[in-house]
Amino acid sequence: MGGAAVTGIGVVGSFGCGVGALAEALRTSRPVLSEVDRSAGYHLPESARRAALVGTADLTAWVPAASARRMSPPSKLAVAAARMAVADAGGIGEADLTEVVLATAFGPASFTERLLRGILDEGPETASPFLFTECVANAPAAQVAIACQARGPNITVTQREAGPLLALARAAADVSAGKVARALAGAVDESPPIVHALLDRYGALSRPGADGGEVARPFDRRRSGFFMGEGATIIVVEDEAAARTRGARVRCRVRAWGSGFDPSASRVSWGRGDAALARAARHMLERASLAPRDIDLVVSGASGSVAGDRLEAETLRTLWEGAPLPPVLAPKSVTGEYGGAHLAAAVLATTGAEFGPTAGYEILDPALRVAPHAGGPLPSPRHVLVTGLAGGGAGAWIVLERA
Amino acid sequence: MASEARDRRAVITGLGAVSAFGWGVDALRDGLRSGRTAIGPFQRFDHTRHRTHVAGEVPEGPPPDFARGPRWRRLSLADRFAVFAAREALAQAGLEGPLHERAAGVFFASSTGGMLESERYFTQLVRAGARPPLGLMSSQQINGPGDAVARDLRVTGPVQTLSSACASGALALEAALAAIRAGEVEIAVAGGSDSLCEITYSGFNALRAVDEAPCRPFREGRAGMSIGEGAGVLVLESVDHARGRGATPLAELRGSGASCDASHMTAPHPEGAGAALALTRAFTDAHLEPDGVDFINAHGTGTPLNDAAEFAAFRAALGDRASQVPLTSTKGVVGHLLGSSGAIEAVATVIGLRDREVHPTPGGGRVDPAIGARLVLDVPEAVPDARTAVSTSLAFGGSNVALVLARWD
Repeated sequence: MGGAAVTGIGVVGSFGCGVGALAEALRTSRPVLSEVDRSAGYHLPESARRAALVGTADLTAWVPAASARRMSPPSKLAVAAARMAVADAGGIGEADLTEVVLATAFGPASFTERLLRGILDEGPETASPFLFTECVANAPAAQVAIACQARGPNITVTQREAGPLLALARAAADVSAGKVARALAGAVDESPPIVHALLDRYGALSRPGADGGEVARPFDRRRSGFFMGEGATIIVVEDEAAARTRGARVRCRVRAWGSGFDPSASRVSWGRGDAALARAARHMLERASLAPRDIDLVVSGASGSVAGDRLEAETLRTLWEGAPLPPVLAPKSVTGEYGGAHLAAAVLATTGAEFGPTAGYEILDPALRVAPHAGGPLPSPRHVLVTGLAGGGAGAWIVLERA
Repeated sequence: MASEARDRRAVITGLGAVSAFGWGVDALRDGLRSGRTAIGPFQRFDHTRHRTHVAGEVPEGPPPDFARGPRWRRLSLADRFAVFAAREALAQAGLEGPLHERAAGVFFASSTGGMLESERYFTQLVRAGARPPLGLMSSQQINGPGDAVARDLRVTGPVQTLSSACASGALALEAALAAIRAGEVEIAVAGGSDSLCEITYSGFNALRAVDEAPCRPFREGRAGMSIGEGAGVLVLESVDHARGRGATPLAELRGSGASCDASHMTAPHPEGAGAALALTRAFTDAHLEPDGVDFINAHGTGTPLNDAAEFAAFRAALGDRASQVPLTSTKGVVGHLLGSSGAIEAVATVIGLRDREVHPTPGGGRVDPAIGARLVLDVPEAVPDARTAVSTSLAFGGSNVALVLARWD
């Protein structure tokens, strides 16, 4: 047993397909945004208009058309990312011992909407069995299992913004405990107009400024919300000793994982429970014989959310007990929220990838006192803390370790 | 992080339930023993145009003496089921009060969360083109019931919701077991909650998976499932923690095993290969020989293919003894609670171990001779020497989970 190692990454997002496309987007700090279709009338006139959409990305190399026609958009994204990850890892070996753990915040929402709209407009007797089968939250994980012949446990985590980290944590725990030999772990989400419109109605999204542009500004004093993103991220986790024996490239280790909850949060937003969350994060570090001073870099889940970034900053400062924070990256201002690219960015950070200045960040928020990465060289990190605080109260943390 | 995993057994010290028999474990227990089905006509939504017209609907509630609290009004129906069942389970465990000072976590399951309320929101949005109250929608999320429990109990430890269709509840219990074994928590509030809603009712009907009459698992001529609603919650603790505070364990969650068919989105593997793998893993995890299984609480949906494939898995895992072990289906009594079914079936299994009897599975007609199960019929079957039971959950998408539960005395 050698602990949990990351040996493969597959990622699809508005930046394109593959880890190379993500790395380039992070290096240049350029979010790729598109207009959201607002023709259904779900949006308010003053609503956000853009999102980090996958658009017409060509996935046929990973999901042949004959298979794709039997899948929801998230299933297609997840299968494409899974096949990329497996290829990156050089195969996955014995199927019975391969686990799939996927997180999703909203599930296959476009199919759910189509099914519900059909029931309303034409009656329940016209409901499509295909739409129903593919609108369940675990459809993408099931399709990944079928595509990759992964016959180990098949798990779908639904814990909003904390979900991707919880999925990776579950994979690392099961691999470390010897319950499975390897896992395909990550996240998938789509951004259909109905979900985009609802997040906007809750005030979660960055809205057009005076110049008409929408900017996600993590930790910035003027932040007003995040970009909704979509895509899929799959990370191959396997026993490090077994991976090295088969000659696989080990990108990094999953050294520690933990989670907590802030009961002061409302059902949809973030609370002020930094003390409880910092205590849970500290507990996680202590269980791995680590302390905040051992962390060389933070890959934060900050997204530009007004309340979410405030809680994130307060939790980090409480965890560090007044000591200076290490450099903080906030890749969601490039990748958008949801789809898990933030996890892939964290793995890249562990391997010394170049990150441009934090997109959207310009003015320090004196209440937060967190200035994210301004560009330039980063230290070669040994330990990277990855954070994810969810609206509703959940929080999760992972420490990745340089291989 | 895994070095302590095998040294920490997980005992069950509290049960909570909401079912078509009513609010509370006593109502569930009495209903299960009665030999009658709780599946029948329902009023949760207008089902005039649906193909079928029966479900396991939870009656009005909760009881008047239940302290609803100021947040109750804003909770979805599934949230309410969850909060009630969690508080009932904690009361039985003797753990009433906020849990924020304890090493406690919530491990929950749901398939639909607040979908019932979301449907109402969406209907207003589409039909009126207006701005329906966002309060209707804010309970939409699948993690709503688990988060509502965590908020109600002021939990600050791990909280996670799993949504792997009909295996979710069992997966939540498996996650709770893992967290206790790993020393991540001392107390785990584990369970699931789902309410009836139109999208699942019409969806399963579109698949022709729903019986027009109350379902009849493992019977000859069975014609499908019946959908139900409700919640099941179990309080798990490390043995040391339970002993330390003088609690009396009801049972032990001794082991679990999971697998995936990886063959089809809706149809089970015809020989139950994936389910058999989950059973074998659960036996290994629980250090249990297959002949140590004293009764089975089967997934038992009542669909022709599922019941046959599931019993094939029992045969593969238990050998010829599969047809001698008393077998029951809680779904045949309260309906299929979807994501929370594994949780309420674990509650029913613990009740059976505690009371030393297996509840009957109502329904007309003889047991399907092609399957050959020893289905418990009409009245409870006494199992005075029973120590260990298995509960199985097999889901859409091929996810399979088996739990091994055992007496603690």
